[in-house]
Amino acid sequence: MKRKAGLALLGVAAVAAAVAAVGTAATDGARARQTAAATTATCSKGRALSVGLAAPITGAVASLGAQQRSWARFSMQRWNAAHAKQGYKIRLVEGDTQLPNVAEAIKVANNFRSNSSILGVAGPAGSQEVQDSTSAYRAGGLAFVSGSATRTSLTDGSRAGYFFRVVPTDAKQGASVANYIRTVLKVNRVHIIDDQEAYGQGLADEVESRLKAAGVNVTRDSVAAKTSSFAGQIAKIGNDVRVVYIPWQVSADAQNFGQQLRAAGKTATIFGSDGLFDPSTFKIVGSYVSFFPVARTSAIVTAYKRSHGGNPDYFGAPTYEAVHAVAQAIQLSCADGKTSRADVRAQLRKVNFSAKSTVTGIAVKFTKNGDVTSGRFGIFRIAANGAYNPVG
Amino acid sequence: MAEAITFSRRYAAPVLVVLVAGLLIAIERQALTDWVQRIHDQGWAGFWALFVGGVTLGSVYALIALGYSMVYGILKLLNFAHGDVYMIGAFAGYGMMTALGGPLDPTVPIALLIVVMFIAAMLGSGVLGVVIERVAYRPLREAPRIAPLISALGVSFFLQNSALLLFGASFRSYDTFDLGASNPGSGIPGPMFRQLFTLSTVPVRLAQVLVVVVGLALMVALTTLVQRTRLGKAMRATAYDREAAAMMGIDVDRVIASTFFIGSALAGAAGVMFGLVFSQIFHFMGFLAGLKGFTAAVVGGIGSIPGAMLGGLLVGLAETFAAGYVSGNWSDLLVFSMLIGFMLLRPSGLLGTRAIQKV
Repeated sequence: MKRKAGLALLGVAAVAAAVAAVGTAATDGARARQTAAATTATCSKGRALSVGLAAPITGAVASLGAQQRSWARFSMQRWNAAHAKQGYKIRLVEGDTQLPNVAEAIKVANNFRSNSSILGVAGPAGSQEVQDSTSAYRAGGLAFVSGSATRTSLTDGSRAGYFFRVVPTDAKQGASVANYIRTVLKVNRVHIIDDQEAYGQGLADEVESRLKAAGVNVTRDSVAAKTSSFAGQIAKIGNDVRVVYIPWQVSADAQNFGQQLRAAGKTATIFGSDGLFDPSTFKIVGSYVSFFPVARTSAIVTAYKRSHGGNPDYFGAPTYEAVHAVAQAIQLSCADGKTSRADVRAQLRKVNFSAKSTVTGIAVKFTKNGDVTSGRFGIFRIAANGAYNPVG
Repeated sequence: MAEAITFSRRYAAPVLVVLVAGLLIAIERQALTDWVQRIHDQGWAGFWALFVGGVTLGSVYALIALGYSMVYGILKLLNFAHGDVYMIGAFAGYGMMTALGGPLDPTVPIALLIVVMFIAAMLGSGVLGVVIERVAYRPLREAPRIAPLISALGVSFFLQNSALLLFGASFRSYDTFDLGASNPGSGIPGPMFRQLFTLSTVPVRLAQVLVVVVGLALMVALTTLVQRTRLGKAMRATAYDREAAAMMGIDVDRVIASTFFIGSALAGAAGVMFGLVFSQIFHFMGFLAGLKGFTAAVVGGIGSIPGAMLGGLLVGLAETFAAGYVSGNWSDLLVFSMLIGFMLLRPSGLLGTRAIQKV
């Protein structure tokens, strides 16, 4: 009797599961059709069109995400104020990617995809996030413009027309760094520690190959995320190592590492990547950091600092241009009173901001594969007073 | 025939292990040779640097493990919120330091500042532990064992996200390097980074020694409390048989609350210790540290105080030596492999007592 009841229950559960699966598939299909139909939006007075912002608002690099969000909001405010006469506003819809938790980035991409008011996206921040959320953005027909994903392979053509970025690639960053180490610092022994993320490993590979090609002795190590004790990594740094290159994303880790390195009696110079450009946190005197350029004396940067307690939040500055580019593409696509995601993608290819007008000092004009046509990385040195002085 | 089968079964596994190991060595001989050479190149200086780092880190894990052991001993509950109590303790210590002028310009002498930070963290974490027990675990005491476990996970995420909302996402720094320095930011460290002695050219700093000494002192204090006081006797009785202890007139609720207070206070102290040695604290630092503290408790023998200390040291050393002699990729892998290995081969841990099953 019990057995029969159990079998009956199993059968009911199986039927329910099948119905749920079919229902979900049907709903997804309907939603996809609805999304495709609804992405044609009218650009009428009072109507809010949206730009998605995919940024690490919480998580390990939330300090960087906070900067990107702040600049994105600033960009949106200025855009709406400057284009009040057009009648429609552009709204920022924020999604928390929790870098380096890539699953959240994919979730955000899917949420944006199913939000019919979103016509384009600024972000995500990390190269791994871009890599893994591409299929979701493509499926939704959404263009996404990153203000910080620098891995070179992201613009190999496989994302052409969908992915854009307003910062130069790691190939340029790696070249700048390797060149500076070789020709200015003139060291012949470099130790590289990557952070086991796509961003860090890509940069580490780039710098390592360039230095080795130039005859520099390079050793390599890695450190797990959320490590606080670097005793293991520091023990491997010989006394003859003059430069330690750390292409990491968390400036507090770099500060911690630097202090532990000094406490261990090692005098190697630390060289960080753009993810460590954080004067409030990474303050090891004599260290170097590579960073995409920011026009520090521009009126926009000055206005941002004035409205944000004097904090420039440089890491977030390129996101200003990413939001600006998407907003511009929406405006251009609204010329006939209607817009769609496909129209926005098409207009993004035509965006052309002169170098003088951008906060990065880099012209925002995209190649076929989504890169900016020009731009280089600068090298900064941390002075005794904590200031980041450009040296290259 | 039977003897032949028994012989082959007994020795098959070790023979297979030796064969596979030999094959691996033959294939990866050059890689192994390179690895041995790298270790040799690091020399005794490398060994002692890793040893000092491992012992320091292990002292932090040991204090976290003590809290796990105490709560498990009394309630047979794995308090997965314990790692986040440790995080709250770190922030409490940071808050007290900030209230007294901050690391760069403290208004009290450094020694007093550190004592006050420890007291604030231990009191704050202790009270938090009591509140968590009262709200999230006591109502589920008679429920199936899975219920308080799930509740513990919920409390963990609640604390983590509450810290994010209250303190923000940015990392905070104890700035131990500059703590009490005469010229902060100059690169010349403050007294906490003063070198006390060297181990084969490896400097051992005041902060590292302080952490180990405080950890040992707290363990001794806890052992004394458990073995020599009425409260300790009541705790042992409650751990042995809660119902019988209640029948003997022991206020079981009060004993359990005291256990949570003490265990959480130790976690708070661990949080301050972590901040002093490794400087940075952040809202999700408790998750992985909690898991490693739990691993230390299992390795040492959950329910055993000296076991928790031993387990903590072993986990800290394993993590540091794996990072130093192999790669940073291997440190967490090795630590959690230890957890699995001990659960499979010796679940009572190194110093734990085997559970006696009543029949």
